[in-house]
Amino acid sequence: MRMPVGADLVLHEEPDPESVRNIGPALGRVIERTARRWNTPLAIPLMDLRLEKFDLLARIGVSARDADAFHFTAPLDDPTLATLCAAVAGSSCPGSTARDEALQYIASIPGLFPIGMAIGPFSLVTRLMADPISAAAMAGRGQAPEDSEDVRILFQCLQVAEAAIHRSVRSQIAHGARAIMICEPAANTSFLSPRQLKSGSSIFERLVIEPNLRLKAVLDKGPCDLIFHDCGELIDPMVEAFAHRLHPVILSLGGSRKLWEDARLVPGDVVLYGNLPTKSFYSDGAMPIEEVVRRTGELLANMKACGHPHILGSECDVLSVPEARDTILKKVDAMMAVTAPADLARSS
Amino acid sequence: MALNQQLYDAVLNGDAKKAHAATVAAIAEGDAPMELIQESMVPAMKEVGRLFECEEYFVPELLLAARAMKSAMELLKPLLVASGQRMAVRVVIGTVKGDLHDIGKNIVASMLEGSGFEVIDLGTDVSPQSFVAAVEQRKPHVVCMSALLTVTMPAMKTTIDALQTAGLRTQVKVLIGGAPVTSQYAREIGADGYSENANAAVGLVKNLLAGEAA
Repeated sequence: MRMPVGADLVLHEEPDPESVRNIGPALGRVIERTARRWNTPLAIPLMDLRLEKFDLLARIGVSARDADAFHFTAPLDDPTLATLCAAVAGSSCPGSTARDEALQYIASIPGLFPIGMAIGPFSLVTRLMADPISAAAMAGRGQAPEDSEDVRILFQCLQVAEAAIHRSVRSQIAHGARAIMICEPAANTSFLSPRQLKSGSSIFERLVIEPNLRLKAVLDKGPCDLIFHDCGELIDPMVEAFAHRLHPVILSLGGSRKLWEDARLVPGDVVLYGNLPTKSFYSDGAMPIEEVVRRTGELLANMKACGHPHILGSECDVLSVPEARDTILKKVDAMMAVTAPADLARSS
Repeated sequence: MALNQQLYDAVLNGDAKKAHAATVAAIAEGDAPMELIQESMVPAMKEVGRLFECEEYFVPELLLAARAMKSAMELLKPLLVASGQRMAVRVVIGTVKGDLHDIGKNIVASMLEGSGFEVIDLGTDVSPQSFVAAVEQRKPHVVCMSALLTVTMPAMKTTIDALQTAGLRTQVKVLIGGAPVTSQYAREIGADGYSENANAAVGLVKNLLAGEAA
Protein backbone atom coordinates (compact mmCIF):
# COMPACT_ATOMS: atom_id res chain seq x y z
CA MET A 1 0.00 0.00 0.00
CA ARG A 2 1.09 3.57 -0.58
CA MET A 3 -0.36 7.04 0.01
CA PRO A 4 0.77 10.53 0.92
CA VAL A 5 -0.84 12.60 3.66
CA GLY A 6 -2.13 14.69 0.81
CA ALA A 7 -5.50 16.23 1.67
CA ASP A 8 -4.03 19.75 1.70
CA LEU A 9 -2.89 19.31 -1.92
CA VAL A 10 -6.39 18.28 -2.96
CA LEU A 11 -8.01 20.98 -0.82
CA HIS A 12 -6.11 23.59 -2.80
CA GLU A 13 -7.78 22.43 -6.01
CA GLU A 14 -10.93 24.04 -4.59
CA PRO A 15 -11.73 27.60 -5.69
CA ASP A 16 -11.90 28.73 -2.05
CA PRO A 17 -9.88 26.29 0.07
CA GLU A 18 -10.15 28.29 3.28
CA SER A 19 -13.95 28.11 3.26
CA VAL A 20 -13.92 24.39 2.55
CA ARG A 21 -11.91 23.82 5.73
CA ASN A 22 -15.00 24.91 7.65
CA ILE A 23 -17.72 23.10 5.69
CA GLY A 24 -18.06 19.48 6.79
CA PRO A 25 -19.55 17.80 3.70
CA ALA A 26 -17.28 19.75 1.33
CA LEU A 27 -14.26 18.85 3.44
CA GLY A 28 -15.44 15.23 3.47
CA ARG A 29 -15.53 15.23 -0.33
CA VAL A 30 -11.96 16.58 -0.42
CA ILE A 31 -10.81 13.76 1.85
CA GLU A 32 -12.70 11.23 -0.25
CA ARG A 33 -11.08 12.61 -3.43
CA THR A 34 -7.68 12.43 -1.75
CA ALA A 35 -8.14 8.73 -0.98
CA ARG A 36 -9.46 8.02 -4.51
CA ARG A 37 -6.68 10.00 -6.14
CA TRP A 38 -3.99 7.88 -4.57
CA ASN A 39 -6.05 4.74 -4.63
CA THR A 40 -6.14 3.99 -0.92
CA PRO A 41 -8.99 3.02 1.40
CA LEU A 42 -7.40 5.03 4.22
CA ALA A 43 -9.14 8.40 4.33
CA ILE A 44 -6.60 10.63 6.02
CA PRO A 45 -7.90 14.12 6.78
CA LEU A 46 -6.17 17.48 6.87
CA MET A 47 -3.38 17.67 9.41
CA ASP A 48 -4.67 20.85 11.02
CA LEU A 49 -3.01 20.79 14.41
CA ARG A 50 -4.48 24.12 15.51
CA LEU A 51 -8.01 22.92 16.17
CA GLU A 52 -7.62 21.56 19.70
CA LYS A 53 -5.91 24.79 20.77
CA PHE A 54 -8.72 26.86 19.25
CA ASP A 55 -11.38 24.83 21.07
CA LEU A 56 -9.46 24.83 24.33
CA LEU A 57 -8.87 28.56 24.45
CA ALA A 58 -12.41 29.37 23.36
CA ARG A 59 -13.43 28.12 26.81
CA ILE A 60 -11.71 31.11 28.37
CA GLY A 61 -12.81 33.59 25.76
CA VAL A 62 -9.77 33.63 23.49
CA SER A 63 -10.93 33.88 19.90
CA ALA A 64 -9.59 31.59 17.17
CA ARG A 65 -8.04 34.69 15.63
CA ASP A 66 -5.95 35.29 18.75
CA ALA A 67 -5.44 31.66 19.74
CA ASP A 68 -2.49 30.92 17.46
CA ALA A 69 -0.27 33.46 19.16
CA PHE A 70 -1.66 32.96 22.66
CA HIS A 71 0.63 31.61 25.41
CA PHE A 72 0.07 31.08 29.11
CA THR A 73 2.61 33.27 30.87
CA ALA A 74 1.52 32.78 34.48
CA PRO A 75 0.25 29.79 36.46
CA LEU A 76 -3.42 29.09 35.90
CA ASP A 77 -5.82 29.65 38.77
CA ASP A 78 -8.17 26.87 39.88
CA PRO A 79 -11.33 28.15 38.19
CA THR A 80 -9.50 28.53 34.86
CA LEU A 81 -8.02 25.06 35.18
CA ALA A 82 -11.45 23.62 35.96
CA THR A 83 -12.99 25.37 32.95
CA LEU A 84 -10.25 24.15 30.62
CA CYS A 85 -10.30 20.60 31.96
CA ALA A 86 -14.05 20.04 32.16
CA ALA A 87 -14.96 16.86 30.34
CA VAL A 88 -18.22 18.25 29.05
CA ALA A 89 -18.06 19.15 25.36
CA GLY A 90 -18.03 22.88 24.70
CA SER A 91 -18.71 24.70 21.49
CA SER A 92 -16.27 23.77 18.75
CA CYS A 93 -14.58 26.06 16.27
CA PRO A 94 -15.82 25.80 12.68
CA GLY A 95 -12.76 23.75 11.69
CA SER A 96 -13.40 21.13 14.37
CA THR A 97 -17.08 20.89 13.50
CA ALA A 98 -16.17 20.47 9.84
CA ARG A 99 -13.55 17.84 10.71
CA ASP A 100 -16.18 15.83 12.61
CA GLU A 101 -18.83 16.21 9.92
CA ALA A 102 -16.29 15.18 7.30
CA LEU A 103 -15.58 12.05 9.32
CA GLN A 104 -19.29 11.28 9.40
CA TYR A 105 -19.41 11.73 5.62
CA ILE A 106 -16.44 9.40 5.08
CA ALA A 107 -17.89 6.82 7.48
CA SER A 108 -20.97 6.61 5.30
CA ILE A 109 -18.96 5.61 2.22
CA PRO A 110 -18.42 1.86 1.85
CA GLY A 111 -14.82 0.94 1.24
CA LEU A 112 -13.30 4.00 2.91
CA PHE A 113 -11.75 3.79 6.37
CA PRO A 114 -12.47 6.96 8.37
CA ILE A 115 -9.40 8.34 10.11
CA GLY A 116 -9.38 11.18 12.58
CA MET A 117 -6.58 13.59 13.42
CA ALA A 118 -5.42 15.32 16.59
CA ILE A 119 -2.34 17.00 17.95
CA GLY A 120 -0.53 15.02 20.65
CA PRO A 121 -0.56 16.22 24.28
CA PHE A 122 3.06 17.30 24.47
CA SER A 123 2.92 19.06 21.11
CA LEU A 124 -0.13 21.00 22.26
CA VAL A 125 1.74 21.97 25.43
CA THR A 126 4.51 23.43 23.30
CA ARG A 127 1.92 25.64 21.61
CA LEU A 128 0.50 26.85 24.89
CA MET A 129 3.79 28.18 26.28
CA ALA A 130 6.25 30.73 24.95
CA ASP A 131 9.30 28.76 26.05
CA PRO A 132 8.33 25.13 26.61
CA ILE A 133 11.86 23.86 25.96
CA SER A 134 13.44 25.58 28.94
CA ALA A 135 10.54 24.56 31.16
CA ALA A 136 10.84 20.93 30.06
CA ALA A 137 14.61 21.06 30.55
CA MET A 138 14.21 22.45 34.06
CA ALA A 139 11.67 19.75 34.87
CA GLY A 140 14.09 17.24 33.38
CA ARG A 141 16.71 18.45 35.85
CA GLY A 142 14.36 17.64 38.67
CA GLN A 143 12.75 20.99 39.33
CA ALA A 144 9.22 20.52 40.64
CA PRO A 145 6.20 22.77 40.01
CA GLU A 146 6.71 24.15 43.53
CA ASP A 147 10.29 25.16 42.67
CA SER A 148 9.67 26.93 39.41
CA GLU A 149 6.79 28.89 37.92
CA ASP A 150 7.78 27.70 34.42
CA VAL A 151 7.61 24.07 35.49
CA ARG A 152 4.28 24.70 37.15
CA ILE A 153 2.86 26.22 33.96
CA LEU A 154 4.30 23.31 31.97
CA PHE A 155 2.43 20.67 33.95
CA GLN A 156 -0.74 22.74 34.08
CA CYS A 157 -0.57 23.08 30.29
CA LEU A 158 -0.12 19.33 30.02
CA GLN A 159 -3.21 18.82 32.13
CA VAL A 160 -5.37 21.12 30.00
CA ALA A 161 -3.86 19.81 26.75
CA GLU A 162 -4.79 16.25 27.66
CA ALA A 163 -8.32 17.30 28.51
CA ALA A 164 -8.69 19.14 25.20
CA ILE A 165 -7.38 16.21 23.18
CA HIS A 166 -9.53 13.69 25.00
CA ARG A 167 -12.58 15.80 24.15
CA SER A 168 -11.45 16.01 20.54
CA VAL A 169 -10.88 12.29 20.05
CA ARG A 170 -14.12 11.38 21.82
CA SER A 171 -15.98 13.64 19.44
CA GLN A 172 -14.17 12.20 16.41
CA ILE A 173 -14.92 8.65 17.55
CA ALA A 174 -18.56 9.60 18.01
CA HIS A 175 -18.56 10.85 14.40
CA GLY A 176 -17.21 7.60 13.04
CA ALA A 177 -13.41 7.65 13.33
CA ARG A 178 -12.06 4.10 13.39
CA ALA A 179 -8.45 5.21 13.77
CA ILE A 180 -6.99 8.54 14.82
CA MET A 181 -3.62 9.90 13.82
CA ILE A 182 -2.05 11.49 16.89
CA CYS A 183 0.64 13.93 15.84
CA GLU A 184 3.47 14.53 18.31
CA PRO A 185 6.08 16.33 16.19
CA ALA A 186 7.37 18.23 19.22
CA ALA A 187 8.39 15.04 21.01
CA ASN A 188 11.89 15.29 19.59
CA THR A 189 15.48 15.99 20.49
CA SER A 190 15.07 19.76 20.19
CA PHE A 191 12.42 19.87 22.88
CA LEU A 192 13.62 17.02 25.08
CA SER A 193 17.32 16.68 25.75
CA PRO A 194 18.92 13.33 24.90
CA ARG A 195 21.58 14.27 27.45
CA GLN A 196 18.94 14.28 30.16
CA LEU A 197 17.37 11.09 28.89
CA LYS A 198 20.75 9.36 28.89
CA SER A 199 21.40 10.46 32.45
CA GLY A 200 18.19 8.80 33.60
CA SER A 201 15.69 11.66 33.57
CA SER A 202 12.07 10.55 33.37
CA ILE A 203 11.00 13.70 31.53
CA PHE A 204 10.24 11.95 28.21
CA GLU A 205 8.13 9.44 30.09
CA ARG A 206 6.23 12.11 32.03
CA LEU A 207 5.65 14.56 29.20
CA VAL A 208 5.21 12.23 26.23
CA ILE A 209 4.70 8.56 26.98
CA GLU A 210 2.40 8.72 30.01
CA PRO A 211 0.03 11.32 28.47
CA ASN A 212 -0.09 9.35 25.23
CA LEU A 213 -0.80 6.13 27.12
CA ARG A 214 -3.73 7.87 28.80
CA LEU A 215 -4.85 9.06 25.36
CA LYS A 216 -4.52 5.56 23.95
CA ALA A 217 -6.75 4.28 26.74
CA VAL A 218 -9.44 6.70 25.54
CA LEU A 219 -9.00 5.42 21.98
CA ASP A 220 -9.08 1.79 23.08
CA LYS A 221 -12.36 2.44 24.82
CA GLY A 222 -13.75 3.84 21.52
CA PRO A 223 -12.79 1.38 20.12
CA CYS A 224 -10.47 3.24 17.81
CA ASP A 225 -6.96 2.47 16.57
CA LEU A 226 -3.95 4.66 17.26
CA ILE A 227 -1.85 5.90 14.36
CA PHE A 228 1.13 7.68 15.89
CA HIS A 229 2.98 10.33 13.92
CA ASP A 230 6.21 12.06 14.85
CA CYS A 231 8.27 13.67 12.11
CA GLY A 232 10.72 15.28 14.54
CA GLU A 233 14.37 14.36 15.07
CA LEU A 234 14.37 11.29 17.28
CA ILE A 235 16.82 9.02 19.03
CA ASP A 236 16.34 5.26 19.01
CA PRO A 237 14.91 4.98 22.56
CA MET A 238 12.17 7.41 21.56
CA VAL A 239 11.22 5.29 18.54
CA GLU A 240 11.31 2.16 20.69
CA ALA A 241 9.06 3.78 23.30
CA PHE A 242 6.54 4.86 20.68
CA ALA A 243 6.51 1.43 19.11
CA HIS A 244 6.52 -0.78 22.20
CA ARG A 245 4.87 1.33 24.89
CA LEU A 246 2.20 3.04 22.79
CA HIS A 247 1.93 0.13 20.38
CA PRO A 248 0.13 1.99 17.58
CA VAL A 249 -1.24 0.14 14.56
CA ILE A 250 0.81 2.47 12.37
CA LEU A 251 3.93 4.42 13.31
CA SER A 252 4.66 7.35 11.01
CA LEU A 253 8.16 8.84 11.19
CA GLY A 254 9.99 11.77 9.61
CA GLY A 255 12.40 11.74 6.70
CA SER A 256 15.47 11.75 8.92
CA ARG A 257 14.83 8.14 9.97
CA LYS A 258 15.80 5.08 7.95
CA LEU A 259 12.70 2.96 8.30
CA TRP A 260 14.43 -0.28 7.40
CA GLU A 261 16.82 0.31 10.31
CA ASP A 262 13.98 1.37 12.60
CA ALA A 263 12.25 -1.93 11.80
CA ARG A 264 14.63 -3.48 14.38
CA LEU A 265 13.11 -1.25 17.04
CA VAL A 266 9.49 -1.86 16.17
CA PRO A 267 7.29 -4.90 16.86
CA GLY A 268 6.27 -6.82 13.75
CA ASP A 269 2.60 -5.91 14.15
CA VAL A 270 3.25 -2.17 14.03
CA VAL A 271 3.15 -0.97 10.43
CA LEU A 272 5.77 1.63 9.57
CA TYR A 273 4.53 4.54 7.48
CA GLY A 274 6.48 7.04 5.44
CA ASN A 275 8.81 8.63 4.96
CA LEU A 276 9.94 10.42 1.83
CA PRO A 277 11.23 13.94 2.67
CA THR A 278 8.21 15.70 1.23
CA LYS A 279 9.00 18.95 3.05
CA SER A 280 11.79 19.43 0.48
CA PHE A 281 9.65 18.61 -2.55
CA TYR A 282 9.02 22.30 -3.27
CA SER A 283 12.61 22.71 -4.43
CA ASP A 284 14.06 21.08 -7.52
CA GLY A 285 17.49 22.07 -6.29
CA ALA A 286 17.17 20.47 -2.86
CA MET A 287 15.14 17.50 -4.06
CA PRO A 288 15.12 16.83 -7.80
CA ILE A 289 12.56 14.37 -9.08
CA GLU A 290 15.30 11.85 -9.89
CA GLU A 291 16.29 11.88 -6.22
CA VAL A 292 12.67 11.32 -5.18
CA VAL A 293 12.52 8.29 -7.46
CA ARG A 294 15.88 7.00 -6.22
CA ARG A 295 14.96 7.38 -2.56
CA THR A 296 11.56 5.79 -3.08
CA GLY A 297 13.14 2.81 -4.80
CA GLU A 298 15.72 2.49 -2.07
CA LEU A 299 13.09 2.64 0.66
CA LEU A 300 10.78 0.14 -1.03
CA ALA A 301 13.60 -2.29 -1.71
CA ASN A 302 15.01 -2.08 1.80
CA MET A 303 11.62 -2.44 3.44
CA LYS A 304 10.92 -5.45 1.27
CA ALA A 305 14.27 -6.93 2.22
CA CYS A 306 13.74 -6.43 5.95
CA GLY A 307 10.21 -7.84 5.72
CA HIS A 308 8.60 -5.30 8.04
CA PRO A 309 5.07 -4.20 7.14
CA HIS A 310 5.28 -0.79 5.50
CA ILE A 311 3.06 1.78 3.82
CA LEU A 312 4.97 4.05 1.48
CA GLY A 313 4.18 7.69 2.10
CA SER A 314 5.19 11.19 3.04
CA GLU A 315 7.17 12.23 6.10
CA CYS A 316 4.35 14.56 7.15
CA ASP A 317 1.39 16.25 5.53
CA VAL A 318 2.27 17.53 2.07
CA LEU A 319 1.36 21.19 2.03
CA SER A 320 0.38 23.03 -1.09
CA VAL A 321 2.97 25.78 -1.60
CA PRO A 322 1.47 28.47 -3.85
CA GLU A 323 4.40 28.87 -6.23
CA ALA A 324 5.54 25.25 -6.13
CA ARG A 325 2.29 23.30 -6.22
CA ASP A 326 2.92 21.62 -9.58
CA THR A 327 6.50 20.77 -8.60
CA ILE A 328 5.30 19.12 -5.40
CA LEU A 329 2.46 17.23 -7.06
CA LYS A 330 4.77 15.91 -9.76
CA LYS A 331 7.09 14.49 -7.12
CA VAL A 332 4.29 12.99 -5.06
CA ASP A 333 2.98 11.28 -8.19
CA ALA A 334 6.49 10.11 -9.06
CA MET A 335 6.89 8.68 -5.57
CA MET A 336 3.60 6.83 -5.90
CA ALA A 337 4.57 5.35 -9.25
CA VAL A 338 7.91 3.80 -8.27
CA THR A 339 8.19 0.04 -8.02
CA ALA A 340 10.81 -1.61 -5.81
CA PRO A 341 13.96 -2.35 -7.78
CA ALA A 342 15.49 -5.51 -6.35
CA ASP A 343 19.05 -4.39 -6.98
CA LEU A 344 18.69 -1.41 -4.64
CA ALA A 345 17.99 -3.53 -1.62
CA ARG A 346 20.28 -2.75 1.33
CA SER A 347 22.09 -0.24 -0.83
CA SER A 348 22.73 2.34 1.84
CA MET B 1 36.11 30.27 43.42
CA ALA B 2 36.49 33.65 41.66
CA LEU B 3 33.23 35.36 40.80
CA ASN B 4 33.96 35.46 37.09
CA GLN B 5 34.60 31.70 37.19
CA GLN B 6 31.31 31.24 39.05
CA LEU B 7 29.54 33.24 36.38
CA TYR B 8 31.24 31.21 33.64
CA ASP B 9 30.17 27.94 35.30
CA ALA B 10 26.63 29.14 35.90
CA VAL B 11 26.17 30.05 32.23
CA LEU B 12 27.82 26.84 31.06
CA ASN B 13 25.55 24.78 33.31
CA GLY B 14 22.47 26.81 32.45
CA ASP B 15 21.82 27.85 36.02
CA ALA B 16 20.05 31.21 35.86
CA LYS B 17 19.81 31.66 39.63
CA LYS B 18 23.55 31.17 40.12
CA ALA B 19 24.34 33.40 37.14
CA HIS B 20 22.20 36.13 38.65
CA ALA B 21 23.79 35.74 42.07
CA ALA B 22 27.33 35.71 40.70
CA THR B 23 26.63 38.85 38.67
CA VAL B 24 25.15 40.68 41.64
CA ALA B 25 28.23 39.80 43.65
CA ALA B 26 30.62 40.79 40.86
CA ILE B 27 28.92 44.16 40.41
CA ALA B 28 29.10 44.73 44.16
CA GLU B 29 32.82 44.05 44.00
CA GLY B 30 33.18 46.63 41.25
CA ASP B 31 33.85 44.34 38.30
CA ALA B 32 33.37 46.09 34.95
CA PRO B 33 30.21 44.94 33.15
CA MET B 34 31.84 44.64 29.74
CA GLU B 35 34.64 42.61 31.28
CA LEU B 36 32.14 40.19 32.82
CA ILE B 37 30.47 39.79 29.46
CA GLN B 38 33.61 39.39 27.41
CA GLU B 39 35.68 37.34 29.86
CA SER B 40 33.08 35.12 31.51
CA MET B 41 29.82 35.01 29.65
CA VAL B 42 30.87 35.02 26.01
CA PRO B 43 33.54 32.31 26.58
CA ALA B 44 30.94 30.25 28.45
CA MET B 45 28.53 30.52 25.54
CA LYS B 46 31.35 29.65 23.18
CA GLU B 47 31.95 26.48 25.15
CA VAL B 48 28.21 25.77 25.13
CA GLY B 49 28.34 26.04 21.34
CA ARG B 50 31.28 23.66 21.18
CA LEU B 51 29.48 21.12 23.33
CA PHE B 52 26.44 21.46 21.08
CA GLU B 53 28.52 20.83 17.97
CA CYS B 54 29.95 17.64 19.45
CA GLU B 55 26.45 16.53 20.53
CA GLU B 56 27.10 16.63 24.24
CA TYR B 57 24.64 19.51 24.55
CA PHE B 58 21.32 19.77 22.75
CA VAL B 59 18.82 22.56 22.19
CA PRO B 60 17.47 22.42 25.77
CA GLU B 61 20.97 22.91 27.19
CA LEU B 62 21.54 25.79 24.73
CA LEU B 63 18.39 27.48 25.90
CA LEU B 64 19.12 27.06 29.58
CA ALA B 65 22.58 28.54 29.04
CA ALA B 66 21.10 31.44 27.08
CA ARG B 67 18.56 31.96 29.85
CA ALA B 68 21.35 32.07 32.44
CA MET B 69 23.22 34.56 30.28
CA LYS B 70 20.08 36.65 29.96
CA SER B 71 19.54 36.75 33.70
CA ALA B 72 23.03 38.19 34.08
CA MET B 73 22.62 40.54 31.11
CA GLU B 74 19.48 42.04 32.63
CA LEU B 75 21.64 43.26 35.50
CA LEU B 76 24.47 44.43 33.28
CA LYS B 77 22.55 46.18 30.49
CA PRO B 78 21.51 49.24 32.54
CA LEU B 79 25.10 49.65 33.67
CA LEU B 80 26.35 49.45 30.09
CA VAL B 81 23.81 52.04 28.99
CA ALA B 82 24.73 54.32 31.89
CA SER B 83 28.40 54.13 30.94
CA GLY B 84 27.65 54.82 27.26
CA GLN B 85 28.74 51.38 26.13
CA ARG B 86 26.71 49.19 23.77
CA MET B 87 26.97 45.82 22.12
CA ALA B 88 28.91 45.97 18.88
CA VAL B 89 26.52 44.04 16.64
CA ARG B 90 22.77 44.56 16.30
CA VAL B 91 20.49 41.88 14.84
CA VAL B 92 16.84 42.15 13.85
CA ILE B 93 15.01 38.84 13.92
CA GLY B 94 11.48 37.68 13.16
CA THR B 95 9.28 34.92 11.81
CA VAL B 96 7.98 35.89 8.40
CA LYS B 97 4.49 36.99 7.39
CA GLY B 98 1.85 34.29 7.71
CA ASP B 99 3.91 32.12 10.05
CA LEU B 100 3.18 32.10 13.78
CA HIS B 101 5.85 29.64 14.85
CA ASP B 102 8.25 31.23 17.24
CA ILE B 103 10.20 28.54 19.04
CA GLY B 104 12.99 28.21 16.47
CA LYS B 105 13.23 31.97 16.13
CA ASN B 106 13.35 32.34 19.93
CA ILE B 107 16.17 29.82 20.19
CA VAL B 108 18.24 31.69 17.61
CA ALA B 109 17.46 35.02 19.31
CA SER B 110 18.53 33.63 22.69
CA MET B 111 21.76 32.23 21.30
CA LEU B 112 22.60 35.47 19.51
CA GLU B 113 21.89 37.47 22.64
CA GLY B 114 23.83 34.96 24.67
CA SER B 115 26.77 35.49 22.36
CA GLY B 116 26.87 39.18 23.06
CA PHE B 117 24.80 40.59 20.19
CA GLU B 118 22.03 43.11 20.63
CA VAL B 119 18.86 41.40 19.40
CA ILE B 120 15.70 43.16 18.33
CA ASP B 121 12.97 40.54 18.17
CA LEU B 122 10.07 41.57 15.94
CA GLY B 123 8.05 38.47 16.88
CA THR B 124 6.03 36.30 14.52
CA ASP B 125 3.93 36.99 11.42
CA VAL B 126 6.21 39.92 10.57
CA SER B 127 5.35 41.67 7.34
CA PRO B 128 8.03 42.69 4.83
CA GLN B 129 7.10 46.30 5.62
CA SER B 130 7.82 45.74 9.32
CA PHE B 131 11.24 44.28 8.53
CA VAL B 132 11.96 47.26 6.29
CA ALA B 133 10.84 49.69 8.98
CA ALA B 134 13.02 47.96 11.57
CA VAL B 135 16.06 48.16 9.31
CA GLU B 136 15.39 51.84 8.61
CA GLN B 137 14.87 52.77 12.22
CA ARG B 138 17.14 50.43 14.17
CA LYS B 139 19.99 50.14 11.67
CA PRO B 140 20.93 46.51 12.37
CA HIS B 141 23.94 44.78 10.87
CA VAL B 142 21.99 41.58 10.29
CA VAL B 143 18.40 40.55 9.60
CA CYS B 144 17.42 36.99 10.50
CA MET B 145 14.21 35.48 9.14
CA SER B 146 12.58 32.25 10.20
CA ALA B 147 9.83 30.13 8.61
CA LEU B 148 8.62 26.72 9.69
CA LEU B 149 6.25 26.03 6.87
CA THR B 150 6.84 25.50 3.18
CA VAL B 151 3.80 27.67 2.54
CA THR B 152 5.29 30.68 4.35
CA MET B 153 8.82 30.42 2.98
CA PRO B 154 8.03 32.61 -0.05
CA ALA B 155 7.59 35.53 2.38
CA MET B 156 11.36 35.41 2.90
CA LYS B 157 11.89 36.32 -0.73
CA THR B 158 9.18 38.97 -0.56
CA THR B 159 10.97 40.51 2.42
CA ILE B 160 14.35 40.49 0.67
CA ASP B 161 12.72 42.10 -2.35
CA ALA B 162 11.15 44.74 -0.09
CA LEU B 163 14.55 45.53 1.43
CA GLN B 164 15.92 45.83 -2.10
CA THR B 165 13.11 48.14 -3.21
CA ALA B 166 13.63 50.31 -0.13
CA GLY B 167 17.31 50.63 -1.00
CA LEU B 168 18.34 48.90 2.23
CA ARG B 169 19.48 45.52 1.02
CA THR B 170 23.18 46.37 0.86
CA GLN B 171 23.13 47.78 4.39
CA VAL B 172 22.37 44.46 6.07
CA LYS B 173 23.28 40.81 5.87
CA VAL B 174 20.20 38.60 5.55
CA LEU B 175 20.17 35.16 7.12
CA ILE B 176 17.36 32.65 6.87
CA GLY B 177 16.48 29.45 8.68
CA GLY B 178 13.68 27.05 9.56
CA ALA B 179 12.75 23.43 9.00
CA PRO B 180 12.03 23.49 5.25
CA VAL B 181 14.74 26.02 4.36
CA THR B 182 17.97 24.99 2.65
CA SER B 183 21.19 26.71 1.61
CA GLN B 184 20.05 26.21 -1.97
CA TYR B 185 16.86 28.14 -1.22
CA ALA B 186 18.90 30.89 0.47
CA ARG B 187 20.93 31.28 -2.71
CA GLU B 188 17.82 31.21 -4.89
CA ILE B 189 16.16 34.09 -3.05
CA GLY B 190 19.29 36.18 -2.60
CA ALA B 191 19.89 35.72 1.12
CA ASP B 192 23.44 35.99 2.41
CA GLY B 193 23.31 32.80 4.38
CA TYR B 194 21.37 29.91 5.80
CA SER B 195 21.82 28.17 9.10
CA GLU B 196 20.38 24.84 10.09
CA ASN B 197 20.58 25.46 13.82
CA ALA B 198 20.89 28.22 16.39
CA ASN B 199 24.51 27.60 17.22
CA ALA B 200 25.54 27.67 13.58
CA ALA B 201 23.59 30.91 13.19
CA VAL B 202 25.87 32.56 15.73
CA GLY B 203 28.94 31.42 13.81
CA LEU B 204 27.41 32.50 10.54
CA VAL B 205 26.68 36.01 11.80
CA LYS B 206 30.25 36.32 13.04
CA ASN B 207 31.69 35.01 9.78
CA LEU B 208 29.55 37.23 7.60
CA LEU B 209 30.45 40.32 9.57
CA ALA B 210 34.11 39.34 9.71
CA GLY B 211 34.04 38.91 5.94
CA GLU B 212 32.53 42.34 5.59
CA ALA B 213 35.16 43.86 7.83
CA ALA B 214 38.04 42.14 6.02
